[in-house]
Amino acid sequence: MTSSLQQIFAEAKTKWRRLQESEIPVFFVGAATCGRAAGAAEVLQSLRGHIKAKKVKARVIEVGCLGPCSFEPLVIVHKSGAPRVCYANIGPDEIIHILENYVLGDDPCTKWALGTMTPGQLDGIKDFNEHPMMRRQVRNILRNCGLIDPENVHHYLAREGYRGFLKALEIGPDETLEQVKSAGLRGRGGAGFPTWRKWQFCRDAAGKTKYLICNADEGDPGAFMNRSLIEGDPHAVLEGMLIAAFTLGVSQGYIYCRAEYPLAIHRLETALSQMRELGLLGENIQGSGFSFDLTIKKGAGAFVCGEETALIASIEGRRGMPQPRPPFPAVSGLFEKPTVIQNVETLGNLPLILRNGAGWYTQYGSDSSKGTKTFALAGKIERTGLVEVPLGTTLATIIEQIGGGVPDGKALKAVQTGGPSGGCIPAEKMDLPVDYEALAEAGCIMGSGGMIVLDEDSCMVDIARYFLSFTQAESCGKCSPCRVGTRAMLSILERIAAGEGQMADLEKLEQIARTVKDGSLCGLGQTAPNPVLTTLRYFRDEYVEHIEKGRCPAFVCSAMISYHIDRDRCSGCGACARVCPVEAISGEKKKPHVISQEICIRCGACLGACPSRFAAVYRRSGELIRYEQRKNSRKQQKNKDQLT
Amino acid sequence: MKLTIDGKSVTAKKGQTVLECAKENNISIPNLCTHSSLSPFGACRMCVVEIDGMRGYPTSCTTPAAEAMVVRTDTEELRNLRRNILALIMLEHPSACLVCGRRELCEQFRPDAERAGSTTGCHTCNNKEVCDVRVLADDLGLKDLPVPPVYHERPLERSEPFMDRDLNLCILCGRCVRICKYHQGKSVIDFVGRGSETRIGQAFGRSLLEAGCQFCGSCVDVCPTGSLADRYAKWHGRAEDVTESTCIFCDQACALALAAAGDKLITAQALNESVPLCVLGRFAIPEFLNGGDRLVAPHIRVGEVLRQVEWQEAIEMTALKLSEFTGDNFALVCDATSTLEDRYVLKKFTSEVMKSKNYIEIEPDARGVSRCSLPKGTKAALLTGNFVDTADLEKLEFLIVQDCYPTPASERANAALPAAVFAEVDGTVLDLSGQKRPLRKACEPPGLAKPEWWIISRLAQAMGAKGFDYESAGSISQEAGIADAGLWIDREEAPPAALNLNLRRTYFRGHRIDEKVRGLRELPVDGTCALDEVEVKREGAFQILRKNELAPNVHEIVISAPEVAKKALPGQFIILMVDEQSERVPYTLSGWDAEKGTITLVVLEKGQSSRKLVLLDVNDKLAHVVGPLGVPLEIENYGTVALAAGCYGIAAIAPIAKAMKEAGNRVIAISEARSHYLHYYKDKLRDFCDQFIQTTIDGSMGIKGHAIDALTQKLSDGEKIDRVIAVGCPFMMMVTANETRAYGVKTLAALNPIMLDGTGMCGACRVSVGEKMKFACVDGPFFDAHLIDWDELRDRRAAYSAEEIHSLGRTESVAAAPLSRHKCSCPH
Repeated sequence: MTSSLQQIFAEAKTKWRRLQESEIPVFFVGAATCGRAAGAAEVLQSLRGHIKAKKVKARVIEVGCLGPCSFEPLVIVHKSGAPRVCYANIGPDEIIHILENYVLGDDPCTKWALGTMTPGQLDGIKDFNEHPMMRRQVRNILRNCGLIDPENVHHYLAREGYRGFLKALEIGPDETLEQVKSAGLRGRGGAGFPTWRKWQFCRDAAGKTKYLICNADEGDPGAFMNRSLIEGDPHAVLEGMLIAAFTLGVSQGYIYCRAEYPLAIHRLETALSQMRELGLLGENIQGSGFSFDLTIKKGAGAFVCGEETALIASIEGRRGMPQPRPPFPAVSGLFEKPTVIQNVETLGNLPLILRNGAGWYTQYGSDSSKGTKTFALAGKIERTGLVEVPLGTTLATIIEQIGGGVPDGKALKAVQTGGPSGGCIPAEKMDLPVDYEALAEAGCIMGSGGMIVLDEDSCMVDIARYFLSFTQAESCGKCSPCRVGTRAMLSILERIAAGEGQMADLEKLEQIARTVKDGSLCGLGQTAPNPVLTTLRYFRDEYVEHIEKGRCPAFVCSAMISYHIDRDRCSGCGACARVCPVEAISGEKKKPHVISQEICIRCGACLGACPSRFAAVYRRSGELIRYEQRKNSRKQQKNKDQLT
Repeated sequence: MKLTIDGKSVTAKKGQTVLECAKENNISIPNLCTHSSLSPFGACRMCVVEIDGMRGYPTSCTTPAAEAMVVRTDTEELRNLRRNILALIMLEHPSACLVCGRRELCEQFRPDAERAGSTTGCHTCNNKEVCDVRVLADDLGLKDLPVPPVYHERPLERSEPFMDRDLNLCILCGRCVRICKYHQGKSVIDFVGRGSETRIGQAFGRSLLEAGCQFCGSCVDVCPTGSLADRYAKWHGRAEDVTESTCIFCDQACALALAAAGDKLITAQALNESVPLCVLGRFAIPEFLNGGDRLVAPHIRVGEVLRQVEWQEAIEMTALKLSEFTGDNFALVCDATSTLEDRYVLKKFTSEVMKSKNYIEIEPDARGVSRCSLPKGTKAALLTGNFVDTADLEKLEFLIVQDCYPTPASERANAALPAAVFAEVDGTVLDLSGQKRPLRKACEPPGLAKPEWWIISRLAQAMGAKGFDYESAGSISQEAGIADAGLWIDREEAPPAALNLNLRRTYFRGHRIDEKVRGLRELPVDGTCALDEVEVKREGAFQILRKNELAPNVHEIVISAPEVAKKALPGQFIILMVDEQSERVPYTLSGWDAEKGTITLVVLEKGQSSRKLVLLDVNDKLAHVVGPLGVPLEIENYGTVALAAGCYGIAAIAPIAKAMKEAGNRVIAISEARSHYLHYYKDKLRDFCDQFIQTTIDGSMGIKGHAIDALTQKLSDGEKIDRVIAVGCPFMMMVTANETRAYGVKTLAALNPIMLDGTGMCGACRVSVGEKMKFACVDGPFFDAHLIDWDELRDRRAAYSAEEIHSLGRTESVAAAPLSRHKCSCPH
């Protein structure tokens, strides 16, 4: 590296060390989009306001996502002389409490502490990495997220940032390719295609002008892996792009980021200008002769633009409709030049491989699927969040150990992976190792990492219907199997969910699903039937129950549920009547009330309003009856307990 | 390179796709979105094949042929997949006729499509005779649809010049979008919206004109369905004769394929795949040549008037008089719209017969204007067009005009002779670089019009000249040494007016083209738009009070007609005229309110006059309504009465059902429609019936099949039905009658022949019932269905089809809608 860069590295290391050893307190507030959604903005406002008002000497740094999203807002507190403590579920009042009582006092506020982040002992607080959610994780790709200031490039540099790229420059493009090959890196966007092979096609393709695109469109509902990485550690992705571009001989790159990620785009823009300042972007980078520049292109709200050829069309300013392949983008892509499109996370792996070597990388993962993978764990799970595990880790480990299992004592029903292109893995298959081959065998795909946990209160027919309504709305419309087929399947599912299904519908559903799968032009259509096919494969009996018994066993399909009041239990308090939005409930005071089935719109407000000591409102679906409903969110409950 | 397709070893050229290679080797693979002039798109998915080593089912149109490839095009799986994909495509396209159980019978009975407004089945589609989708459906054996189809209910687009668009028929093959990009270099139309909302449209909902459309018609030419249609030509089906010729509206001399039906020209299309025609070449020729005021007979001036005469007399009288004006006081003026052969003869005539040096041949300017003044002292002249100012003409003593259309010149001529022009003649023309291009006769001239060389030759002969005994244009070419004329089929650049319609010619032979071709008036010239306010006077006593489209193409119209409402009885009808020039059309009374003084009609848009009616708005007035006409239906207590109804019949049986019920009958009403979205009046009929059944041809709702199928089910189950009344199209009533015959149930049908006076005088509505001749207006409209000659009824109803088709094309904006529709924010 150039001497100036060397110097900057040294400075960065110094700055970082100073931060680690800071005399004054430092508050690292998890303020990425997930943190903000949980209330981190209010925490920041409260904290900063208090610090200013009370003239406290302290620093506040906004960091990215640390991982345990169900515990957000998270604040890591650095107090000189003590190990750093990660606090969870912190609101604007709690942070002041911590400031006053721990930072300016002696009480570590253990009731909110999730764990210690650095060596050292604090009574009553365990090591963060021993937390059941963190213990089985291997956070390689996400190593910086939640710990560094993503807008401070020195933090990245101090933690071995850009060493991978410099290594690549040193060993040259051919050897870099070899490293990636030996590491066995497979595309993390969902297809799992060997990265080195894609690069090889592009390198072999004729022509001097070639392009590299980072696919940051992340369209799967419920997926937030890419967003978190970009918001928390943008340079990791950009360094990966440098490595890839260098190996491919590409001088112009694009980052296609969905417009619904404004913070991620802002982080990228900041990071790009920092790269330019450091001489890591532009002409003749670090005197290597390698020139590369990057442009950010915002998406415009289309899921289909996550598909390679549609993405290319979008960058070219055309309508995002996929093209048949061949020709493959690696041979003829953007502006008809050889183009490599990589997922954000695939790129995030590259600095690690180059810095630590392929040998290091392959210690993680299974035989066919090397390395680690991030998963967005969500749904009916005790601990939702962004987790990273070696490929080959079983579902049981992820769901039960890391995720803490299904809350409220409910039974696990299935795990949905791969978003709208994926499928449902039933509870019996929790021993399935999560790697590309094992999931494919089970009829599912890993996808980009979305993992939604479903319990006994999830209706599989409804799940299929939900995903299909998504793909139907997002279909670009070019080919009929997808455009019409998804609507046709959706109409059948809606009929079944409305209690109007017939047994012949199941065969029809499968037949249309086959046609859509075999006939569609692109991956969106080809995989759109997957939720239907996997739920039919593993949960056929639920469909049959809807059709033959006229009931939804999970009490989800509202057309098949009716609300009633148990006259023996009802005290006539009127709580339900008061919340009913359509005035369907009538009755005299202190006398049992009654719900008019003609007027009732099945919103469920009455069920929630009825005091638990009466629990008089119940639901009926076919011949099934259910009294209780889901409890309030656990988090709300916890906070309520802790503050008193 | 060598590859294997279906076990056959074939050779492919470099760069060919599997589909192209297969086609060259006579292996046919179904395809809808490919087109020879467009690059592959891969949207329809019909051309899927199996290729060893490739996953899934790749599309052969997009897959490049490769050495040693092994391809299978016709396996069981592929056929199933293609059929299923076609079935999905057919869920968004009116497809009931494809899966109808009586399709063959219907095709036999009525092979030609009817002229509906909104197409809801093959039988009312302008594309029926030439439709690729129908052929595919047959080949693949498409028999039913997996789920109920959808009709998008997108509004018909019929107010833009020359092109009708029905987006409910579009199968999104994308050919139109691609050809526009290819021919025009821009996307005037493109895919808009996503998912089920995907459709073809212009950005921001602009009109075609505002979006920059040049009306080259290339999109219409490539549309595989009836979605995009040439308004003038669309109902002609397959053309009988196609002739390759040249366009002579300007000197770009584009090569054309001219299609004629009968003797009339119906459409012109480009022969050249890679460049478009301009709006004149594509859309103006048939209308120009078929204009109603073409000169069709020779006229000779007698005093103040022009008297029509036979050619013999015209020639003789003209020759006689013309002989007085030999020498330089005779001038002959023609322009480049006359063929080289014509001009050769004209020149020869001028110099050899008239002994004059004043042969004037005008080269039209950029707008096609041909103007000149006559040489001083001219006393007699022969003009082949409107080239000279009236002031100049006043100085003449003798004027002959041989032209295609009347002009001030022909009005004051001593001899006005009808000329055959353009596609009506053979000959040769020159293009802008002087190359010879052939003009070939594609249709007959109107009336007695003759080619120009013929007129002049006969004139010369009548004047005693020798050397004018030409019998064909070819003999003139020979003598004049005109040879080597070749069609310009390999042009690489589009004619300028095709890419910018502002540059087009506005005159042809001295005539304003847009006076004969009205659609042109909506298109700008030189950046300005010639807007034309057309005031349509609506006078009449019968106001439309309410209007409602009950189902695609089914319109409910409530009209104020107190006298009719007072007297109406079930089964009767009225005859109406929209305006003083309209056809008289009978419509069944579907309802009336004596108190309010209103009548209700349910009208299907099925042609010229119903279109006029349907395009009216609330508060518009009809010129005439006469009724109630016809013998009221006999209403008694028969026991159980079954009413079978289709199309407008569903509304027509409502008053009948009510009356039958009130008379004590058990009433069963069975309504049939092609698909679920075409049913209407469900609640209304249910109120009047004991049992109400709905059937659909495609099985999307109710019982699958025709009304008669539900009826025969009952009859064969032993149910006692005493009387059947059928109201619908002749095919439906015929089928109903044929199948009730076996059960011996008395069946009445409401006949709907064409009608004129409606009171028993003219005989237009004659029908044969048993061996007797009856009038539907005063003996019917209900007759014993088992005695009707259905074939005769069908034939008589179609008696004026040809005229109607031609009138449909001429009356562009048939309705009240003024021509000046666009607000001139277009980029022209």
